[in-house]
Parts: sequence; structure tokens; C-alpha cells
Amino acid sequence: MKKIFKWVLIIGLPLVVIGFLAFLYFIPPFDLLPREAFIQPYAAAVQASLKPIDDPAKRMIAERGRYIVLYADCNGCHTPGGDEGPNWDEYLAGGLKFSWKPVGTSVSRNLTPDPETGLAQREDDQVLDVLRYGLFHTGRQMDWTFMPWAGFANMTQEDQYAVLTYLRNIKPVYHGIPDWTPESRNAENSFYPGDWAKHKGQQ
Amino acid sequence: MRSTVSRGLLILAPCVVLVAFLLLNQETGSTRMNTASSPPQETPSLGKAIFDSKCASCHGAEGKGDGPPSMQLMVKPRDFTAGKYKFRSTESGSIPTDEDLFKSVREGLHGTSMPNWGKFMSDDSVNAVVEYIKSLSPRFKTEKPRVVRLGTPIPSSPASIAAGKKVFEKLQCGQCHGTDGAGTDAVATDLKDDWGNDLEATHLTEPWNFRGGSTARDIYMRFRTGLDGAPMPSYAGTASEQEMWHLANYVVSLARKPMWAMNEQELSAFFASLDQLAKANPVPRGKYLVESIGCANCHSMYTDEGFVVSGMKYAGGLTFDLYPFGTYTTRNLTSDKETGLGDWSDEEILLVFNEGIRKDGRKLLPFPMPWMGLAQLKDDDKHAIIAYLRTIPPVSHKIPDPETPNIFSYLWGKFRMLVLKESIPGPAYPMKEVQP
Repeated sequence: MKKIFKWVLIIGLPLVVIGFLAFLYFIPPFDLLPREAFIQPYAAAVQASLKPIDDPAKRMIAERGRYIVLYADCNGCHTPGGDEGPNWDEYLAGGLKFSWKPVGTSVSRNLTPDPETGLAQREDDQVLDVLRYGLFHTGRQMDWTFMPWAGFANMTQEDQYAVLTYLRNIKPVYHGIPDWTPESRNAENSFYPGDWAKHKGQQ
Repeated sequence: MRSTVSRGLLILAPCVVLVAFLLLNQETGSTRMNTASSPPQETPSLGKAIFDSKCASCHGAEGKGDGPPSMQLMVKPRDFTAGKYKFRSTESGSIPTDEDLFKSVREGLHGTSMPNWGKFMSDDSVNAVVEYIKSLSPRFKTEKPRVVRLGTPIPSSPASIAAGKKVFEKLQCGQCHGTDGAGTDAVATDLKDDWGNDLEATHLTEPWNFRGGSTARDIYMRFRTGLDGAPMPSYAGTASEQEMWHLANYVVSLARKPMWAMNEQELSAFFASLDQLAKANPVPRGKYLVESIGCANCHSMYTDEGFVVSGMKYAGGLTFDLYPFGTYTTRNLTSDKETGLGDWSDEEILLVFNEGIRKDGRKLLPFPMPWMGLAQLKDDDKHAIIAYLRTIPPVSHKIPDPETPNIFSYLWGKFRMLVLKESIPGPAYPMKEVQP
């Protein structure tokens, strides 16, 4: 009995250690997954995001907005993370934290029309002001390196309107985001991935 | 003896405290008096304070129109030091009136990233900013605005519009604006302003984009005064006043329905025409996509102050520290053969979009390059982006290969990430609080 136990220990322990190291090495399995595995859940979430709209004209505009939100990669910052990549059930619900020493820390907002935590509280013009000018309803201007509004400002007004129509008609997700405070300017870099965007000169 | 000393101390101690208190009090009193008598410190004016907090981010700290986001904006912020303004009610070449500047700041410039500041600040504040902006150019000290005389407006009528169409052809407006006002058959397509920035002729069919306003009076004013600093001249000598009013009525009549007012049939026709236009002219469509996605946000080289190094837009060089996966630097997107995309075939670039695999076989991480989103673009749009990237002038800028950590620091980083949960990829922010 004791002998068996000893052999189990001799063989099993290294196996467990190797298994653990392999787990560390391969998770998240960016290299093991087929490339479609990254795209398919994303595409499915994009397709499912829009609520049914009765008015056909409004639906067409919202579908154009869906395409713009897709290529402008709003999802990259505005979809919260799950255990393996983005949490597609909470598409565009915000909550990713970005830290960068020159500008501080920001948490991406909830873009869904949730009445308590989302964009439902904002008027149409206030949402558009963010796209066009990077201006919050408070008058604060967002840093363009966090929220790249300087690119979105190049969209035509019609495309910006399509984005607005889309955001007004996606599934609401209850996801509270802490408000920005002046103190968050002084935040240290977070461990990950906050300081991923270092200036070349600051290395 | 000892008792006398202690008694003496007992009396002395309060005295010392009292004297010290008086001395200290006097000291603070004297400093207070000093501040009162010294000349008042130079406080920055209200205009400068507002300019620094609101305007300087785009127009630059010195008002040269070179704030960091300006590299991304297709319509560049104004350079206040030159004193040249497009939207005026004054003769060509003249400085604008205070009212002109007030209007531009208060109402914003439609279709650009100049906000309507009247929504965020009082008229007094706008006036203070206008005063400060004027102080940035010496022209306002020496020159006086020469206001144009607005003639008698001609009300719009079919006859006036038909006369305006003739003037449109006579003045060859179609050379820049297109024969239909929407850019069709425009000859002059590479327009530049006095600062060398690319310009696009305004589509006369989209009045919601008219920066100076869309009434016949506003449009008349643009012909009458010209847009200083831009290729649009003043037609004051070339066309008569009546002709300019007819032309203004004609331009007003060119307006098409905006997307938000269209019905189902109009929308499908409109979207089909946009798709057709994109297919016929892939480069402008690609430019529109690339500039509005903001590819240059990452694919550029920055200085320490957060400015893009001159000429290094699209040349790559921003480094991302994706601990523990390594350090990655954005690639050179210009058409340079050695260091850029010059010798990449369309299929090789498409492979990056579709599968995130480079031509040397390296697989891209799912962040920060959002290739999974680009993979879902329409084929025409992918080709349009490639067509535009081919037109970016070559810049030689060698990008270092990614630095991947050694196996031990990689495993240690993964341990911190996965087991200690210091933070995970796509950092979750598990907050379920209601926003106040």
C-alpha cells in the first residue's frame, strides 16, 4: 500500500507540476484556437445586439450604425471582459479600466440604453457631442488617446446619426460604471493592460 | 532657594509664552500687510484661462492649430497666429469682426469638431475667449475689419434659381464642387489650404455641413467674402451682386434630403448609391474608413509630449507593453518597400484582416489590433482600405520585431495574471453599482 502511494507521488507530482505549467503557458489559448473562434462569437454578438425595430427606415439606419460600430471597434474598449476574452452577453456594456500615466485612469462607459446605468439618461445631442468633440455632458473633454474621438469626428454627420440610432436600439444591460473623478488623473499604471500604450520615448 | 527659582520660572514662563505669541502674531501681521501693499499678482485673464482649458487641446497651447488631436482631424483646427479666418462678414483678406468670431465660437462650425460652445459657457465667457484669440495675432492690433455691405437680398423663386444655375456654370463652381454640387466630375480634387493641409470641397447638397450656416444670406456671404486661407475665392469683382444672390438661391435649392428624414425606399436607394460610389472610387472610401476608425492613433510615432512626430503619421512606432505576452510595436503602414507595406500583396494584407496572420506566419494577438472586427468588413471596404494604404507616401521607418519574454518571466507573469488574478486580459471591472 505504502509502495503504491510512493509511486503515485513520484509519477503524479511531476505530472501535476507539468500540467500546471502547461496551463499557465497555454491559457488564454491564443495560439491553439482556430482563428474563426475569435471572430464567430464577436459576429454573433454583433448580429444579436439589435432589438427588433418596427419602423423599416429606422431599422435600416440602425443596421448601418451597427456596421459602423463594428468597424470603428467600439467593442474593443466598451465590452467588459469575461474569463476568456470579452463577455459577449454584455456587448458594449462598458467597464474596462485603462490607465496611462500621462492621463490617468478611465473606465469605459456603458453604451447600452439601460435606464439606470446606460446612455438612456443622455440626450441625443449629448451622445453625439462625445463622438464629434469628445465632450461629456459635463463639459469635460475626454483625452483623445483614450477615447479616439478625433477619428470619429471625421465621420459624416449622417454616419454619426446612424451610430446614435443603433446605440438607442441595442439590448440594455445593467452595468454600473464608476464616475470619473479628478483624482483618477493621478492614478498609477495598472498591471495590465493599462500601460500597454506607452509612448516610445517613455521606455 | 529652589522655591524662589521655581517661583521665578512660574512667573517667567507665561511671560515667555506671551512674548512669543505677540512676536508670532506681529510676524503674521506684518506678512499680511506686505501682501496687501505689494502689487497684485498677474492673474491670467478669463479668456486665457478658458482657452487653456477648452481650446488649447486642439488649437495648441500657442494657438497655432497644432494640438495633439489635430493630426487625426481631417478638418484641421484654425491657426490663430495667422489671423486668417474663413467665416467672416468682411472683405477678402480682411480680419473678421468680433461678431464673426463670437458666432463661430458660440455656434460652432457644423460638420467639424468645433463644438457649439454656447451650450457650455456664457456669452461673457465666449467674448473673453474671442478677446484672447484676437491677442494671438498681431493683425488685430494694426488692422481694422472692412465689413462688406450686404446688398438687397433677392427672394428665392424658380427664375432666380434658374439664373443661379447659369452663374454656377459661368463661375465654374463645378471644377471643385462637382457639376451637381456633390463632387461628381470635379476636376480639382487635391485641394490644399495655405498651411498645406488637404481640403475637400464642401458638398453643396448637404447644407447641414455648411460651416458658416445654410441660409441664403450665409451662402451669399461665402461668395462675397471668400474663404481666406482656402482655395475658395471671393467673387466680389467677378460676379455682380444680383448674380451672387441668384447663386445663393440655387445652392439652397440643391439641398438633398438628409438620411434622418428619408423613408425606406429613399434609404435603400441612398445606401446603394453610397456602395456604388465606394466601389467606383475606393481610395476616398478607404481614406474615410481609415481616418474615422483612427488607424493613425496607434500606427504613428509620438514624442514624449504626446504629439505625432512630423511626417510619421501611419509610419508606426507606438509600443504596447502587453505583459506577459511581450512588447509589440505598431507596424509601418506607409507604402515603403523595405519597412512598410510596399511589398505586401493585397492577399497578404487581407490575411491580416481576415485571420490575423502576418505574411511571415506570426499570429496576431486578439488585442490591441482589432483584426477580428476588420474581418467582418464588407469585401469592398477591405479593398478600399488597402487601396488607400497604397496611396500613403512611403516613409522609411524600421519597426523592431516583438520582444517576447523568456519562458520563466512569461510563466511568472501568467501566474500573476491567472492565479493571483492581479488583472486579467480584457480586465473585468466587476461593478454592479448604480451610478449616482
